[in-house]
Amino acid sequence: MKPSSVKYDFEPKIIAFVCTWCTYAGADLAGTSRMQYPSNVRVLKFPCTGRIDPVFILKAFQQGADGVLVSGCHPGDCHYIAGNFHARRRFAAFRKLLEFIGVDLNRLQFSWVSAAEGGKWVEVVTDLTERVREMGPMVEFKELALEEQWSGAINTPELKETYNAI
Amino acid sequence: MNSQLIDTSIYADISRFIRDESLRILLEGEVIAVVGYAAGRRKGSVQPIIACDTESAGRLMFSQASVNNLAVYLTKAKKEIPKSGKIGIVLKGCDLKALVGLIGESQLKREDLYLIGVPCSGVLASTVHPATELATETIAPKCLECDAHLPTGCDFVPDVALPPQQKSDLKYAVEIARLEALTPAERWAYWKEQFSKCIKCYACRQVCPFCFCEQCLCDRNKPQMVETTPRPAGNTAWHIVRAMHLAGRCAGCAECERVCPMDIPLNLLNRKMAKELKELFDYEPGFEVNDKGPLASFTDKDDQSFIK
Amino acid sequence: MRKYISRQNLNTLIDKLIAEGRRIVAPRMTAGTPLYEPLGHSGEMIIDQLPRRSAKEAFFPLCEEIMSYEKSGQQVKLTDVDPSRFPETILFAVRPCDAAAIPVLDAVFSWDYKDEFFLERRRKTTVVGLACTTADDACFCTAVGLSPSDTKGSDLFLSPLEGGGYNVESFTEKGEALINSCSDLFAEESNAAYIQLANPQTEAFDLKKVKSWLDEHFEDQLWDGIATRCVGCGACAFVCPACHCFDIVDEGTEKAGKRRKNWDACGFWKFTHHASGHNPRDLQPKRYRNRIMHKFKYYDDKFGQTLCTGCGRCVRICPVGIDIAAIVEEINQK
Ligand code: SF4
Ligand code: SF4
Ligand code: SF4
Ligand code: SF4
Repeated sequence: MKPSSVKYDFEPKIIAFVCTWCTYAGADLAGTSRMQYPSNVRVLKFPCTGRIDPVFILKAFQQGADGVLVSGCHPGDCHYIAGNFHARRRFAAFRKLLEFIGVDLNRLQFSWVSAAEGGKWVEVVTDLTERVREMGPMVEFKELALEEQWSGAINTPELKETYNAI
Repeated sequence: MNSQLIDTSIYADISRFIRDESLRILLEGEVIAVVGYAAGRRKGSVQPIIACDTESAGRLMFSQASVNNLAVYLTKAKKEIPKSGKIGIVLKGCDLKALVGLIGESQLKREDLYLIGVPCSGVLASTVHPATELATETIAPKCLECDAHLPTGCDFVPDVALPPQQKSDLKYAVEIARLEALTPAERWAYWKEQFSKCIKCYACRQVCPFCFCEQCLCDRNKPQMVETTPRPAGNTAWHIVRAMHLAGRCAGCAECERVCPMDIPLNLLNRKMAKELKELFDYEPGFEVNDKGPLASFTDKDDQSFIK
Repeated sequence: MRKYISRQNLNTLIDKLIAEGRRIVAPRMTAGTPLYEPLGHSGEMIIDQLPRRSAKEAFFPLCEEIMSYEKSGQQVKLTDVDPSRFPETILFAVRPCDAAAIPVLDAVFSWDYKDEFFLERRRKTTVVGLACTTADDACFCTAVGLSPSDTKGSDLFLSPLEGGGYNVESFTEKGEALINSCSDLFAEESNAAYIQLANPQTEAFDLKKVKSWLDEHFEDQLWDGIATRCVGCGACAFVCPACHCFDIVDEGTEKAGKRRKNWDACGFWKFTHHASGHNPRDLQPKRYRNRIMHKFKYYDDKFGQTLCTGCGRCVRICPVGIDIAAIVEEINQK
């Protein structure tokens, strides 16, 4: 893949939560093999996907991520034997919850990437980045974070202005 | 649908049975206390009591206003109740499911408990005065979807004949279907409006039998995972965390929704998760003790169509 | 000053004030729940339901920013909120039990520390009380020395008349200023009959006697008896017009964030939890005891007032049916 020299109006922030044993090593392999992938992704390393609490995903969105990737060892390859099996169930449930609350699941990707799959890492990251770029920024959580709760709703533009001026 | 009265004539007999049995087990020293219901000051109102003597056991009763899930009093979160002997407890079917869940999570031991099960035709919704008659319009929505009117596996169940259940709209199922049919943006707007009302009084957490953590994640500030401020951002995070922590554990007693002073439909989230977990992992809370809930176990064949 | 205003003109008054850019807060439905919230137009106002939360939040919001910080390089910029920019507000259709709590709160917010956030809003707010026609068996204003027509805390007070309309009485300059600002909407006081007011069915407590019992019974079985079942939420304090505890939190990132003031409640386990891990109120009865003590003894000791106006909100809302009126009645009987 060629490094892209195209300039986009919007560069999404992608947070990747990865396990240290497989996906992190896979991403490392991609790097040492000089494969190119979007620099939008910020990688956070965990011992195991089983340690990736759904609240981390929530926090990432709240802190301004436009897309989140969670990636670990293929089923059966978990360094701790069953961490990824537990994670698989937990994320299956968490996705449904986020969807019900109104989060577009296209912003959230799960994958299994082994230490040997540098190419797959590049593919997963590129796909997610492109997709989220198309979708534009994730505004829901950011907008929420800007809302203050004074005494109840502020429902006229004049009042909003008064408050913003404070 | 027109409102139809629901037959609660058995509740007077049940009250008598509960009193007699509680007096017996207290006097015979089988238990040190019975957690049950007694009448309050306001007309028709009912409140939990912890009966340790014959005087208070004589006040035990059951009515359509016996809404509380008393299992919460047996958890670690409630240190006020002496755990120095066997405890008797009055339970409806939904409450029993929660208690069974707590046994499954090693929070309680069956042998430390004396379970008094109540054949139940339903209790009142939180929105009506406690003196209201039970009818299809005033019954708690959870009771319309209940499959546990007659608890099993208890030490004592009053010998009364449950009247047949009336058919009615399933409010949660209908509402979940309505929300599922919306776009993500519309759902977000719906929940944002609801969550914005939350005042972080944590009544929903405090009454939940499964919220027994000695320190809730949402009370921690090092690290702080959830903003404690009662404003839209912190509220949304709290509700997502709450729903996720209850997924696969919630027994459906709907206490969280009942107590919410801001009328936030919390049980919709719980029911939605229950529905998904049934579809994904064929799990439903019931009267059988499971050592491992659906999110504490796995099979190697679990769905992974969403994973690349 | 005593005047009359028709229901129609009351709506006109509200709409006129809104059009002038004034902030009008009154009971209205918000996502299915009655709350005191800013009105968009007079039609939103509902007067037949007691708002779920009290009117205190017009002065003491659930959550408010008091300061923000921003860090760039070595520089930290602190920005204070300037209370002088709070908007003028008129609170309409305030229940007597809510209005009566406002002067009670004045005492604590202007005590050793002057809380400008509260006091500035207080200065800028006109309180229009409304005599109460709907009471249920949780109400007990009459037991704590108030009544459904009590004007305590109101700048202007509306008494509903048979055949619609209200007699209006003003008690303060603010109230008179409001009448004078739209005097054409008011007429001479009417002598139509007053609508039958609510009639809470509670006997008056002997608050002195209650207090003197509390003086002597910090330790008493009563606390264990009633409060073992308290689950320790904040519902009772948060819906109460007189509870005023708050917590200050700094939230944000290392780059920027805000300091906010949020409601707090003595029912919470965390309320008295020390950094060391010790908690002097280690069990729920001790926490609940503080609720009764603060309302009927400590506040009286300090300010000579009772911290309860008998609105009954906590009685209706308590998840486990703890009934403050029944408890004080029990103490009263001792
Ligand atoms: S009970 Fe309701 S208002 Fe209180 S914290 Fe829970 S959702 Fe929020
Ligand atoms: S203590 Fe209860 S009844 Fe008294 S003012 Fe507060 S909420 Fe109302
Ligand atoms: S009763 Fe409790 S929450 Fe209310 S003001 Fe007093 S200490 Fe604060
Ligand atoms: S008295 Fe009731 S509302 Fe107040 S903290 Fe206890 S359980 Fe919650």
